[in-house]
Amino acid sequence: MNKKSSVLAAPFALWILIFTVVPLALVVYFAFWGDNGFTLDFIKSIGEGEYAKSLGTSIWLGAIATVICLLLGYPVAYIISRAKGISQRTMVMLIMLPQWMNFLLRTYALMSLLENNGLINTWLRDIGLDPINIINTRAAVVLGMVYDFLPFMVLPIYSVMTKIDHRVTEAAQDLGANGFVVFRRVILPLSVPGIISGITMVFVPAVSSFIISRLLGGGKEMLIGDVIEMLFIQVEGGRNVGAALSLVLMVLMLICMTLMNHFDDSEDSGGMIA
Amino acid sequence: MSDTIISLRGVSVSFDGETVLDNLNLDIEDGTFVTLLGPSGCGKTTTLRIIGGFVRQDEGDVFFAGENINNVPPHKRKLNTVFQRYALFPHLNVYENIAFGMRIQKKPESEIKAKVTELLGLVSLEGFEKRSVNTLSGGQQQRVAIARALANDPKVLLLDEPLGALDLKLRKEMQVELKRIQHSLGITFLYVTHDQEEALSMSDVIVVMNHGIVQQIGSPLDIYNEPVNGFVADFIGESNIVDGIMYADCDVEFCGARMVCVDTGFAPMEEVDVVVRPEDVIVVPAEEGFFTGTVLSSTFKGVHYEMIVDVPGQDEDWMIQSTVTQEVGATIGMKVDPENIHIMKKYTGDYASDIDYTENVVE
Ligand SMILES: Nc1ncnc2c1ncn2[C@@H]1O[C@H](COP(=O)(O)OP(=O)(O)OP(=O)(O)O)[C@@H](O)[C@H]1O
Ligand SMILES: [Mg+2]
Repeated sequence: MNKKSSVLAAPFALWILIFTVVPLALVVYFAFWGDNGFTLDFIKSIGEGEYAKSLGTSIWLGAIATVICLLLGYPVAYIISRAKGISQRTMVMLIMLPQWMNFLLRTYALMSLLENNGLINTWLRDIGLDPINIINTRAAVVLGMVYDFLPFMVLPIYSVMTKIDHRVTEAAQDLGANGFVVFRRVILPLSVPGIISGITMVFVPAVSSFIISRLLGGGKEMLIGDVIEMLFIQVEGGRNVGAALSLVLMVLMLICMTLMNHFDDSEDSGGMIA
Repeated sequence: MSDTIISLRGVSVSFDGETVLDNLNLDIEDGTFVTLLGPSGCGKTTTLRIIGGFVRQDEGDVFFAGENINNVPPHKRKLNTVFQRYALFPHLNVYENIAFGMRIQKKPESEIKAKVTELLGLVSLEGFEKRSVNTLSGGQQQRVAIARALANDPKVLLLDEPLGALDLKLRKEMQVELKRIQHSLGITFLYVTHDQEEALSMSDVIVVMNHGIVQQIGSPLDIYNEPVNGFVADFIGESNIVDGIMYADCDVEFCGARMVCVDTGFAPMEEVDVVVRPEDVIVVPAEEGFFTGTVLSSTFKGVHYEMIVDVPGQDEDWMIQSTVTQEVGATIGMKVDPENIHIMKKYTGDYASDIDYTENVVE
């Protein structure tokens, strides 16, 4: 690196140091150093009972939410990428719009929709149908995750799809592919990079989400994000175990992302189109 | 045998109110090498896309082997396209790119393998099966695109400026290669280019287009020797095009001189375009010429000298090609043999603005 570019990079290096390296170092420190110096006790305690269970639940619900986001988001992204000029921009806007509202507010809004005497059930009763009891169930938690993170699935897939050269799809047609075959043999494989980043961008925040399960799941079951938050904020001396849990979660996510990216590389051996 | 394989009848199309093809009529004989030649934007690609089924004409009909295919979607047409800039599948390797069409037809793997191997041999890419198409050079991608388009045994291959992105040397090699492939397979090639040399050297038939209108259809020799108008003459080779008057059959005046020519059928005193190729001008001592001019410059071009000559009373300077150079500033006499004077109906367009933007591409 030459002198000039290292001078230019300095502010960013400082930024990364303060907001990434230092917090990470603190997490590692608290996870391994207790009052009596270095210890593995905090890490070990995660394997026991409640923590492991809520980690498992979080991963399970996060995975379900991710799959639903993919099933809903992929067709949406495809339709948007196919739309023309102004309607395409409008649809992208509509997808992004909820993101401009605070995540907490959105979750509260969903809560008031789903409540037993909420908007949806009121309407159902009005038209003479049985109300549904969804609030305070796992289904509501998953719904909340899907609702909050769906745009993170749609946008990367959409952006990869718009980059697919239309002449490549024409070439497929030219060689005898009907609409379905063009989709399966050209569009789907070429959108894999978007799917990969969509999955990563939904799964990671979904697994580590907090508040959602407390508001929509009725607090019966704590997800790992809630546990960590609780340990740090509410439990006296809980920050060591909290840090250990964060660390484990982070490592799990890193492993998961590495696996995904590896899958991406082998699937997309031809490389992405520019 | 000469069967018509593709036929366009009165095809017109416009985009956003702008006419791109105007009443196009074209018959393509089975097994021939036909070239669409014309400046950028004249509608060559659009013509191919109509035949391929990617653009629907506003008016007119497209026939394939006598059958109207207006409503046949692209994937059901028995012809294949080599696209301008290839459009290879970036996620597939060379083998799978070529196998694409056969996989759709669910051919057995053994047959696919044999065909791919055969085609790779045809385009001289043996051993490239496993390569990613993104790591190939332009010329190699070109060959893959050709092999891929040939894999379905099309009766007609449409090629849209397939050599446009290649350097001159490679382009010359590929021209020979393509001609060889067309010969050995005996199928019809409909080839698009704006390079007149390419068109002249490769084609059985050339279709010269401008502004969506067919200007002339003929063999390369016809087109070169008997261009029907000034546009064709100018596009097909650098020519001197000057105003003239036909006094009577075989009697023309231009550059202030009456000359004998071989053209007939014009009205008496009709204003015409006179076309004289640079290599057809004979340089003689000033007093022996039909008309005279002053040499402005002389440049050696490898096999001949190219001289720019100012002829008094003419807006445009003359271009002369000769193996003997003349001194700059000298006054020379010029003669043209009667059969080298080409008389044409007045072309109302502006030649220079029609073709200028292709010149940087043509080497
Ligand atoms: N889909 C389209 N929408 C609007 N205009 C178009 C479309 N396709 C082509 N045109 C216009 O039609 C005209 C002819 O285009 P075409 O691509 O057929 O030219 P071409 O002869 O192939 O030129 P080139 O040598 O540059 O490839 C151009 O003016 C182009 O802008
Ligand atoms: Mg074109």
